Amino acid sequence: MALNPMEQFAIKPLVEAPLFQIAGQPIYFTNQAVLMVLVAVVSALFLTFAVKPGRLVPTRGQSMAEMSYEFVANMIHSATGDAGLKYFPFVFTLFIFVLCSNFFGMVPGSFTVTSQIAVTFALAALVVGLVVVVGFMKHGIGFLKLFVPHAPWYLLILLVPIEVISFLTRPISLSVRLFANMLAGHTMLAVFAGFVVSLGAAGGVLSVLSIAPMLLIVAIMLLELLVAFLQAYVFAILTCIYLNEALHLHDHP
Amino acid sequence: MLAEEPAHTATSTEHPQEGGFPPFDTTTFPSQLFWLVVTFAFLFTVVWRVAGPRINGAITSRRGAINGAIAEASKAREQAEAAQAGYESALGAARSRANALAEETRQSLNAEIAKAKADADAEAAKAMAAADARINATRDTAKAVVGAAARDAAIAIVERLTGDKVSADEAAKAVGT
Repeated sequence: MALNPMEQFAIKPLVEAPLFQIAGQPIYFTNQAVLMVLVAVVSALFLTFAVKPGRLVPTRGQSMAEMSYEFVANMIHSATGDAGLKYFPFVFTLFIFVLCSNFFGMVPGSFTVTSQIAVTFALAALVVGLVVVVGFMKHGIGFLKLFVPHAPWYLLILLVPIEVISFLTRPISLSVRLFANMLAGHTMLAVFAGFVVSLGAAGGVLSVLSIAPMLLIVAIMLLELLVAFLQAYVFAILTCIYLNEALHLHDHP
Repeated sequence: MLAEEPAHTATSTEHPQEGGFPPFDTTTFPSQLFWLVVTFAFLFTVVWRVAGPRINGAITSRRGAINGAIAEASKAREQAEAAQAGYESALGAARSRANALAEETRQSLNAEIAKAKADADAEAAKAMAAADARINATRDTAKAVVGAAARDAAIAIVERLTGDKVSADEAAKAVGT
């Protein structure tokens, strides 16, 4: 194996010395940090300056910004009704951050921020933490009724633990879904890229055959672009669904 | 791991497990979380305070402009319809006034004609009456002249035949005038 497909996920400090320490932990400026800063700064600049409030006929950039805005607004509205629109900035930021991280990661040679379980788990924990806070603020201790579905008492003995477990596994499922999708796609691309290199280096007929994994990479690349959008969408819509439960408990509209 | 980076890359080809699976390398977690918090908080603040209101403003101002234009257009249409209705009612009024005027003129003309006819009739009747009177007078005069002539003739005849002189009254009685 000349090429380790996992190497692309390694986080390397770009500056040898740590910037500073937090609670005894050294903080480095890493390749991942570059991408995170790029994601945040580029999307912040784009969303701010692509849009001119007085412009009646939008430019291409403004259309993109407005479409993503309305996409997320409609997503929240259909999942939670009017009550969830208060959390629009959070969900929109989440969607844009994950979407841009996924897309920026598709650029060969860059780094996929969302292929790190630490990042996706932190985002998922943020979502579930927000859901818990919103739920208790809105319903007080009554928020615990979320774990008690409408069912006869003898079924509740079984159902309540299941509900509790399903709630507790949410941060895991939410984070692993995004992490695993990004990781698997990029690993697959790297593996096939390795095939291209080793076939090409083999010489003769095998060198000609190296075109096959190359074409496959193109196809997977397209698929990964779809996955990049889809996972950002899934992350945002699940956030909306969890928020809806916190806002409305079981009395769904 | 970060400190022993060179050693790691040297051995990774033989033992891929040496450095472990990069995403599970906990030594990188503090840096990851730090940069995540910083960048996410930055993006959130921008979206919340600047970009979100800006985009929202653009969308609502466009929606307002479109709705305003639609309202203006429907107002203009209403005005046009009102103008049309006014024109039609003015046209109707003018038409009915013209009809009334024509009717009035016709009636006054009819009256004049009737009056002229009556005047002419009366004049003709008067002329006829005068003519009748003249005819009667002429006839009476003629009768009287004829009677006198007959009486004179009778007197003359009687005188010649008998020699008697008959009085005028007797002669008149005899000829029956």
